[in-house]
Amino acid sequence: MKIKIIDRFKEMDKEERRVYLRELLINNSLYIFLVAAIILIQCVNPRFLSFPSIINIISLSAANLPIALGIAGAIILTGTDLSAGRIVGLVACVSAALLQSSDYVGKMFPNLQTMPIIAVFLIILAIGALVGLINGFCTATFHLHPFIVTLSTQLIVYGALLMFLMIGNNNGQSLSGLDPTYTNFIKGSIFSIGGTPIPNYVWYVLVITAIMWVVWNKTAFGKNMFAVGSNPDAANVSGVNVRRVIILVFVLAGMLYAVTGFIEAARIGSNSAATGLNYELDAIAACVIGGVSFVGGTGKISGVILGVVLLRLIFVGLTFLGIDANMQYVIKGLIILIACAIDMRKYLVRR
Amino acid sequence: MKIRVGALLLALILCLSVFTACGGGGDADVHVFYYTYSDTYVSTVRSTLDSKLTEAGVSYQDYDGNGNQTTQTEQIRTAITKGAKALLVNIVNTGSDDAANEIVGLARDAGVPLIFFNREVSDTVIKSYDNCAYVGTRSEEAGILQGEMVGEYLLSHYNAADLNGDGVISYVLFKGEEGNNEAIYRTKYSVEKANEMLMAEGKKPLRFYDTSNKNGYLVDQNGLWSSAAANDYMNTILASNNAANKNMIELVICNNDSMAEGAISALNAAGYNTGGNSPTIPVFGVDATEAAKTLIKNGKMYGTVQQDAVGMANALALLTGNALDESKGLMDGTETLSVDDTVRKIRIPYGKYVG
Repeated sequence: MKIKIIDRFKEMDKEERRVYLRELLINNSLYIFLVAAIILIQCVNPRFLSFPSIINIISLSAANLPIALGIAGAIILTGTDLSAGRIVGLVACVSAALLQSSDYVGKMFPNLQTMPIIAVFLIILAIGALVGLINGFCTATFHLHPFIVTLSTQLIVYGALLMFLMIGNNNGQSLSGLDPTYTNFIKGSIFSIGGTPIPNYVWYVLVITAIMWVVWNKTAFGKNMFAVGSNPDAANVSGVNVRRVIILVFVLAGMLYAVTGFIEAARIGSNSAATGLNYELDAIAACVIGGVSFVGGTGKISGVILGVVLLRLIFVGLTFLGIDANMQYVIKGLIILIACAIDMRKYLVRR
Repeated sequence: MKIRVGALLLALILCLSVFTACGGGGDADVHVFYYTYSDTYVSTVRSTLDSKLTEAGVSYQDYDGNGNQTTQTEQIRTAITKGAKALLVNIVNTGSDDAANEIVGLARDAGVPLIFFNREVSDTVIKSYDNCAYVGTRSEEAGILQGEMVGEYLLSHYNAADLNGDGVISYVLFKGEEGNNEAIYRTKYSVEKANEMLMAEGKKPLRFYDTSNKNGYLVDQNGLWSSAAANDYMNTILASNNAANKNMIELVICNNDSMAEGAISALNAAGYNTGGNSPTIPVFGVDATEAAKTLIKNGKMYGTVQQDAVGMANALALLTGNALDESKGLMDGTETLSVDDTVRKIRIPYGKYVG
């Protein structure tokens, strides 16, 4: 493969070579920027690429990956999902409430025995799936744009969350004092590299990512999702049940948000109505940076991972450099804009 | 057909939910506007005030401004047209007087008493309308008390706190929000007060862990005072500043308890502040939430500053009673409370909390 490219490059004349190199440079500018940024930060602060720091970047990325994988499905269908962050918040609070340690003073449900983690996990998966089902059902059945549907469900979920926080003797307080078995299950570590522990949830996210890769690439559902995303009418004609695909994509997304919330609750340790707010925006940004296009029907798991890692790198890198937070907004905005422009350019060339 | 049945069902559910929602509000006399329902401390004030007003037999209605001044101002306009007899406003925008002046104008035109609370408005705003008052805290006080606790702790544990023995305490400070007066004052006065106490005893002033950061704080970029932001920062800091590199953070100051919880969660993951005999970095917050009190009790956090939610709700209930009773002045019965000399501002004192 590589040899072929070199051969072809040799056959080109001067002008063709210039164009080829320019395209290569533009199409890979994100990676070039990434490498340049890493080198720069490493020069300023040599601890940037130390083991603890790399593991920190990996764990921060892992915590943000499931929500991005969920929202990517909605984007592939040329949609979006504004309810993601609020679902994360609701699920985080429900997980925390059900898994508070039994001797905690401000326990929301004082008479509740410590529940098995797996039972709570199934409950919150069901909550995520239910909201996803509503999103998907309304989108597919009423032919509404997901933007509108999820704008509405986002509000409904937030209202439910606020009501939930006033239940029992909680009075709108943040939910903390989680059961140690739960926090250990998520934050604990069974494996360390160079004396730096890797939190368990990194492995869970790894498994989920692998499952999602299989779902996207090796199942009929995955192929149908891309088909519906690039052209729903054509998919319909060729016998795909478009409605079912749309509903399933949102249900799957809801379950992935639930996973994010389940991890987030234990990772942060304190959960309030503000938990999860605007998480969907970072997740959408990560997807589009990674080439999951709003044009529909295109996107790769590896792209989503790249997008998530890049956003975390900006956060960690600028913290390492001690750069003003205000600048971080500007840089993040520019990267999203440039990444999408490049992506669109590729798409136009292909046409 | 299928679609129609679905739509009909939806409409039915909507009608039902509207009816049930109406049951609570009715035609209320007192309208209470909260800047956001998602704020933990304000939620405590809300539930306490709700029960005080119910106890006093006053009909009231609560509003959620959801962090948006436009929303809140529209809610206030609507409440006035509904015939509100008293307005209690936990204003969203504290950055300038514009929003407060507009609200005062609305209340003055309608002749409705107006009480601001929790988030402070300037003296000129209060003075511009006779039937207007403020119940809150002194913004500087939380920072000063936090700084005093930091100073007291360090002066009695200096050598233990100075982990690398370089004679300077390196600290990190998590700020809740840019452009918010409470956050600005807490950030400024906590460090200033602690430094003042340290230098009076001949110690060196605190040093921000990252000397290239000229601000001397790390801020929640979403402005949510969130534990998630503090947690992400703390994890990132611990990746480069740890015992192995002999530059471990020796002190953590947070603008509120949520951020303190997030920081402690990150410290826990690195083996610090797990209670018992594990090495403990002193962490300070503000609010004295139940969660923070429990952390302090378990030795995972050192101190916090207590805001008196019950005291605030009591003062608000008193003023509300005055506002509804035509024979009383707005400030009747406030002699026992701490009131500013020149302006109708009632100050609910903060207190130190170290368990």
